[in-house]
Amino acid sequence: MFVMTASVMGARASNTLRRASTVLVTLLGLLALTFIIGRVMPLDPVLAVVGPDADASTYDQVYRSMGLDKPIWTQFGLYLNDLLHGDFGNALLTGHPVLDDILRVFPATIELATLAILFGVLIGLPLGVCAASNQGRLGDHVARVITLFGYSTPIFWLGMMGLLVFYAWLGWAGGAGRIDLAYDGMVPEVTGLLLIDTSLARDWDAFASALRHIVLPALILGLNSVAYISRMTRSFMLEQLSQEYIITARVKGLSRRQVVWGHAFRNILVQLLTVVALAYGSLLEGAVLIETVFAWPGFGQYLTSSLMLGDMNAVMGCVLVIGLIFVALNLISDALYKVFDPRTR
Amino acid sequence: MTIFPSLWARVFVAALAVTAVPQSFAKTPADQLIVGMSMINLLSLDPAAATGLDVSEINANLYDMLLVQDVAQPDRLVPALAERWQVSDDRKTLTFNLRDGVRFQSGNTLSAEDVAWSLHRVLKLNLALASTWKAYGFTAENVERYMRATDAATFVIELPRPTDPLLVLNTLATSPSAFILDREKVLEHQKNNDMGAAWLVTHAAGSGAFVLNDWRANDVILMSRFDGYWGGPAKLKRIVMRNMTESQSLRLMIERGDLDIAKGMSAPDIEALQKSDKVRTQTLQRGTLYYVALSVKQPMFADARVRKAVRSLIDYQGINQTVMPHYGVINQRPMPLGLAARLPDPGYTLNVEQAKAWLAEAGYPNGFKTTIRVLAEPPFINIASNLQSTLAQAGIQASIITGTGNQIYGAMRERSFDIIVGRGGGGAERHPHSSLRTLVYNPDNRDEAKLTNFQGWRTSFYSAELNQLIERAEVEPDAGKQLAQYRDIQAQVDQQVGAILPVSQMTDTVVVYTDVADFQGHTAATTRYKDVYKKR
Repeated sequence: MFVMTASVMGARASNTLRRASTVLVTLLGLLALTFIIGRVMPLDPVLAVVGPDADASTYDQVYRSMGLDKPIWTQFGLYLNDLLHGDFGNALLTGHPVLDDILRVFPATIELATLAILFGVLIGLPLGVCAASNQGRLGDHVARVITLFGYSTPIFWLGMMGLLVFYAWLGWAGGAGRIDLAYDGMVPEVTGLLLIDTSLARDWDAFASALRHIVLPALILGLNSVAYISRMTRSFMLEQLSQEYIITARVKGLSRRQVVWGHAFRNILVQLLTVVALAYGSLLEGAVLIETVFAWPGFGQYLTSSLMLGDMNAVMGCVLVIGLIFVALNLISDALYKVFDPRTR
Repeated sequence: MTIFPSLWARVFVAALAVTAVPQSFAKTPADQLIVGMSMINLLSLDPAAATGLDVSEINANLYDMLLVQDVAQPDRLVPALAERWQVSDDRKTLTFNLRDGVRFQSGNTLSAEDVAWSLHRVLKLNLALASTWKAYGFTAENVERYMRATDAATFVIELPRPTDPLLVLNTLATSPSAFILDREKVLEHQKNNDMGAAWLVTHAAGSGAFVLNDWRANDVILMSRFDGYWGGPAKLKRIVMRNMTESQSLRLMIERGDLDIAKGMSAPDIEALQKSDKVRTQTLQRGTLYYVALSVKQPMFADARVRKAVRSLIDYQGINQTVMPHYGVINQRPMPLGLAARLPDPGYTLNVEQAKAWLAEAGYPNGFKTTIRVLAEPPFINIASNLQSTLAQAGIQASIITGTGNQIYGAMRERSFDIIVGRGGGGAERHPHSSLRTLVYNPDNRDEAKLTNFQGWRTSFYSAELNQLIERAEVEPDAGKQLAQYRDIQAQVDQQVGAILPVSQMTDTVVVYTDVADFQGHTAATTRYKDVYKKR
């Protein structure tokens, strides 16, 4: 018995070690690739700092101060060394440590993406189930039109139209930014998530303002997730609904609702976890267009601005964070697999 | 029977209900000015390093200069921190007497030492704005000798080499490097003898009418009124600048009254807003020019006849009437509009037949292949497209290469281009030399000279005669003679066909909500918000 426990523990330890080393190698590869692309890109971070009219001596001085005179692998080695000491370097864009910047902008994106994925799940799942249960009938066609709309409408255009209709014409939504400027800096920052911070401060006017500002971009951002999640749900459900155990359940007298939700849907939960996790991951890193339209000071805008400047410290920091997000989401969905699927325990 | 469990139905209804949050008809607060603008190029607030018009405008509210351009008559300089100034008879020394009782926002008293130290650090740090001062002969080594405080209230500049003192005064009144810092406060934050360079990227230590409360890059800048301002407190309590890069979002927000001022909007949106009675527009002329630059390193453009042909292939009138409204107005001289020394436009027009004749004479009867490098944004790309089509009419096949500012001007600094549609010039200094120095002057045409701050050098256009004329006019003490010399230089540039062909003078249109009063933009991008208020 003791021998068996030890061997199980040994296997688990080796599994964890293998997984950790895979994660490390993946992140290292990601960083190396980004670093090389950053250096190959025809963008000059020095010019971004000194402006196009600086003379040669100023240019050379800044070039050296940024360490660009050193060979590329030396630069990469120095970067990794700093990284190991918890130093992501300073961003050109803000003059602040990159880590501070990411911690500052990330809550804005987390808040937006979380609301968007909630919308995606709350609408996408029932829509997919409805489409599968009504295959070839009206419900299926309606779901198809909605998903087609979600997939094919450019998010930038949708954002502009949303602002025009719900902000400018109807006045239902807040305009650009996370909150009316009158409240800017008035709510103590605890989590960086404005809906939570305003609630903690019991400032309900500020909460209403933050809510008015986030609903529209979150709904628009979530529309693409609705499309993705509902299509995947439909496909998983169709597979389940054609299984013999479904017919057996119906023959045994279970209602259609019990069969669909109690049996078929329960069996696709594991697959859906991966779908939702991936959709959430892409929302976290891919909200840049919606952030631009809504002047949302989030991660996507920060990454894009840094890229345009050739600000490699900031870009590398962002890439590392994106890598870590996907790793974390994978680990979480793996853990949840065990909860929902006893066979994986 | 529905397949939706009641929980799902409730959640769905709740999600929809969230969207029905009550309407908000937000008006900006009466005592605050809310400005929407792009902050993508805002990298540093340090006066020694800050380039760009937007940062100059922000710093103009946080700091003061010794003197400033008069808002209504930019050619006139008026006192600011310096109550008065004198130029010595030999035109070599400028003496500034400081205003008494000026305090920085920290409470420290302004002294001539602060003025000297502020200008010394520009050269010692050798950051982006040092080149302005180097052009007058100042260096990191000699600056302490030539710029000094003779007592607490007197600051003296001796000119290291002969130049027009008016030029230096203009620089002191317009250059973003000429803001005066609170030396004591900055030195409190000095690290590794950096003269506060790291701290000043995101902080300010000035005597301006507003105090910087917070700058969150790419998000928001908050400034509040400095009640102890020497010129009396500002009328508004707070200035809020929000980063907004999308022109249509700016348009929607200012139309609804959620913004007081919108900057950097696209021409179609400005056009649309001009029909609204809720806003008004204000167009400012800037010191820079839109131009077509030819690299004389390319054998075809080394021939003046080919340059003349290209000049005849620019549709000046078409470009300025269709592409440039809200971006610029026609200007065919390498000198800003409105300067007394500037000659009227020579009246170039699109003349394909004439261009073909010049090309044939130069040995290119069937034209040639070339490239146009250009920023991928209006109006640059539109000018380039127009140029491409008119060049083609004379057989010149130009392919367009687009890129970011960094890529386009980077190639120009490397002298590695054929044609560039770009923008540049002498900035806000109201002096002919400023533009000519930037666009025409090229004292050393060798690659290794690396005079990258001279756009004339970047084009490899070299004229010893023009260099000499520009140098002579710069030091001419007689105003009448100087005027005549500058006019002669323009005629010479025309005749020799300079490699930079000006097309349009840059303008900037700002959209202002109707109840904002006494907002007056400055051509030098030193717009001050001190006297702005709202009529409510």
